Amino acid sequence: MPASRFTQTGNYRVRYQQDQTIFATAAEQASLVVGLLLLLTLPFLLTALGLPKTLLRDVNMVMIFAIAVIGLNVTTGYAGLINIGQAAFMGVGAYATALAATRLNLPFFLAIPLGGLAAALVGTFVGLPSLRLKYLYLAVATLAFQVIFEWTVGHLPLLAQGGAIALEPVQVFGVKATFFNHNLVWYYIILPVLVGLALLWRNVLRTKHGRSLIAVRDNDRAAAAMGIHPGTAKLTAFMIGSFYAGIAGGLFAYFQKAVVIEDYTLHTSVQLLAMAIVGGLGSLPGSFLGPLFIVALDRVMGGVSGWISEKQLFPQGVDAATALRPLAFGLSIVLFLMFEPRGLANWWRLVRLYFKKWPYKF
Amino acid sequence: MKKLLTLSALVLASLAGAKDVTLVWSGAITGPTSDAGAPFSAGVEDYCKYANQKKLIPGVTLKCVVRDDQYNNANTQRNFEEFVGNEQVPVFLGYSTGSMLQLKGIVQETKTPTLTSSYHIGLIDPPNNGYMFLPIASYSENIVGLLEYVASKDKGAKVALLVNPSPFGRDPVVDARKAADKLGLKIADVQEVGANNLDNTALLKRLESQGVKYVINQNTAGPVANILKDAKRLGLLGKMQFMGAHYAGGEDLTKLAGDAAKGFIWATSYYLYDEASKPGMKLVKQIGTQNKRKADTISSVHYTSGMLGAAIAIEAMKRAGSNLTADGVYKALTGMNGKNAFIPGFTVGPVTFSAKDHVGAETMRLLQADGTGNFKAITGPMRSKVFAQVHPMK
Repeated sequence: MPASRFTQTGNYRVRYQQDQTIFATAAEQASLVVGLLLLLTLPFLLTALGLPKTLLRDVNMVMIFAIAVIGLNVTTGYAGLINIGQAAFMGVGAYATALAATRLNLPFFLAIPLGGLAAALVGTFVGLPSLRLKYLYLAVATLAFQVIFEWTVGHLPLLAQGGAIALEPVQVFGVKATFFNHNLVWYYIILPVLVGLALLWRNVLRTKHGRSLIAVRDNDRAAAAMGIHPGTAKLTAFMIGSFYAGIAGGLFAYFQKAVVIEDYTLHTSVQLLAMAIVGGLGSLPGSFLGPLFIVALDRVMGGVSGWISEKQLFPQGVDAATALRPLAFGLSIVLFLMFEPRGLANWWRLVRLYFKKWPYKF
Repeated sequence: MKKLLTLSALVLASLAGAKDVTLVWSGAITGPTSDAGAPFSAGVEDYCKYANQKKLIPGVTLKCVVRDDQYNNANTQRNFEEFVGNEQVPVFLGYSTGSMLQLKGIVQETKTPTLTSSYHIGLIDPPNNGYMFLPIASYSENIVGLLEYVASKDKGAKVALLVNPSPFGRDPVVDARKAADKLGLKIADVQEVGANNLDNTALLKRLESQGVKYVINQNTAGPVANILKDAKRLGLLGKMQFMGAHYAGGEDLTKLAGDAAKGFIWATSYYLYDEASKPGMKLVKQIGTQNKRKADTISSVHYTSGMLGAAIAIEAMKRAGSNLTADGVYKALTGMNGKNAFIPGFTVGPVTFSAKDHVGAETMRLLQADGTGNFKAITGPMRSKVFAQVHPMK
């Protein structure tokens, strides 16, 4: 055993219960506490460092996308069921939340979970084809759901035919969200939801339900031979994945102050899939790193293209600057698929490994 | 020496008094609808530079910012927060229907006058409509105007509406139905047509079998061009009259549809590039050439639209005088009527706003594409007579 619980360089698990713990080492526990403390003070750190206020909006966006990407990872990463309709599940959650808030006058802390449950219900139903379909065929089935969702919203007067359903500003512990504190208020709402849902998934993964998803992904026949019902596992994956998407959708609806169909289109589904790929499929840290990378890339490239336009580096009429953002987005996905299919999560693993074994190389 | 000192003092005083104010437009320079957004942004930017060059606002230097929001609502909100929240810009220039609908509540909360490039009537309908302004007549008014034209030519005719599958496209349908009832026309069909309409045979055959004689499009030029090309292939151009609201027509349409666009009737409030005698269009050409824009950009109606948005905002800032705040600009905008109407020369009628009227240039013309790909006016400047009855100002 190591001299200190915080300096152990390997796993010294001698009992099965130890193998089931959420955190492998005490250092991991400590790093989570430090990380959470840093996150709790992040808005004030950003202000103290004189960074733009809109950065907090970006952080909120990253956190909302991270919730949706965890959900996508549940279905695609852990259970191996390709899902190209995650934005539609987000949309179901967003519209259900909006209806609960505007028609039933429910407060946001009830409306958002209700949105998640509505999405879970729809997700379970949409997951039914997964009992018979695999791979690209299943991808097409989820794509069909995305199209059906957009069409349905566009034709339902109840949902403003895709136009805006405005949501009232929320009030938390007597503090009302206004234009000027909106991002701060929502930061402290989204953060605990994200942390809670991430810990929940990490726990679910340790249970037989979580392990059965991975078993079905790796070989569903072998899983069935071991007593796992692949159909139930697949439907569970869709239910959990769409629940996460629904919660993300409900949060996004309030965060954007109105629900509009354009926020939940195929483009958003592709973006979420890109975040999952770049982050690393089937990885919880990857679910945070992917959204962070894609949102940051968009902001950086936006800044670069703005700078290029301002300096007029290209002749008038050559739109090279504005093409940089979509180009960088596409290129990053291709490069990750080619050179690092395990995504940023693998880099994160290597960095952690380095520090874990430091000062030794091996 | 005394003269020199006095002059230096004056120059220093004027420099000290000079104020930098940001004029920002957020819209789709890339992504969906960027075919309209890119020239629009160029129009805003170039007119803003022109305003600085001509010192249109005494003592104020404009910082001209155009931001690409990629037709992404979250990006538009971010830009709004950046410029209204952090920089306290006195006026915001927005773009797409979805993003503007989403912003309505925030615009109302911050009381920031916002001019949009979307002419969706819902933007100025309650609730939260106090600070939203449309530079020209709405899509709904365009379409009701076209229906009036149809009724004047062919009472009782069957009309079909082909609309974009989005809030932008669906918006005028309710008003069009009401207007058709009043005008004695029959809306035989309403179909949604997206940007991927590569073959419209089934759609056009369906309309033909229903006896539709007039097809009104509420869409962007691309899908309309595909419909026109298919109509030509099917020999329907002589049997059906195709028409469209502002974003359906223009040189974008004639470029994409070629000779299939011949005869297309278009409703818009803008003067066109080839109307060189109009002072506003002379200015468009002059500014475009000065900024070395491509001929295609200068001739685009969206370039003129961008200039109009910027011109209204800059005029309101100028009229706000020393009170160059959101409140001052709002007062200036709502006072833009009667003898104080603004005539920038880009539109066929003056730009007028009041506390209750949030549509700028309400007059429009109907134009028809000729064989050379140009649109020629077939009516004078007019306002829809029925529109106010079917959609009273709220």
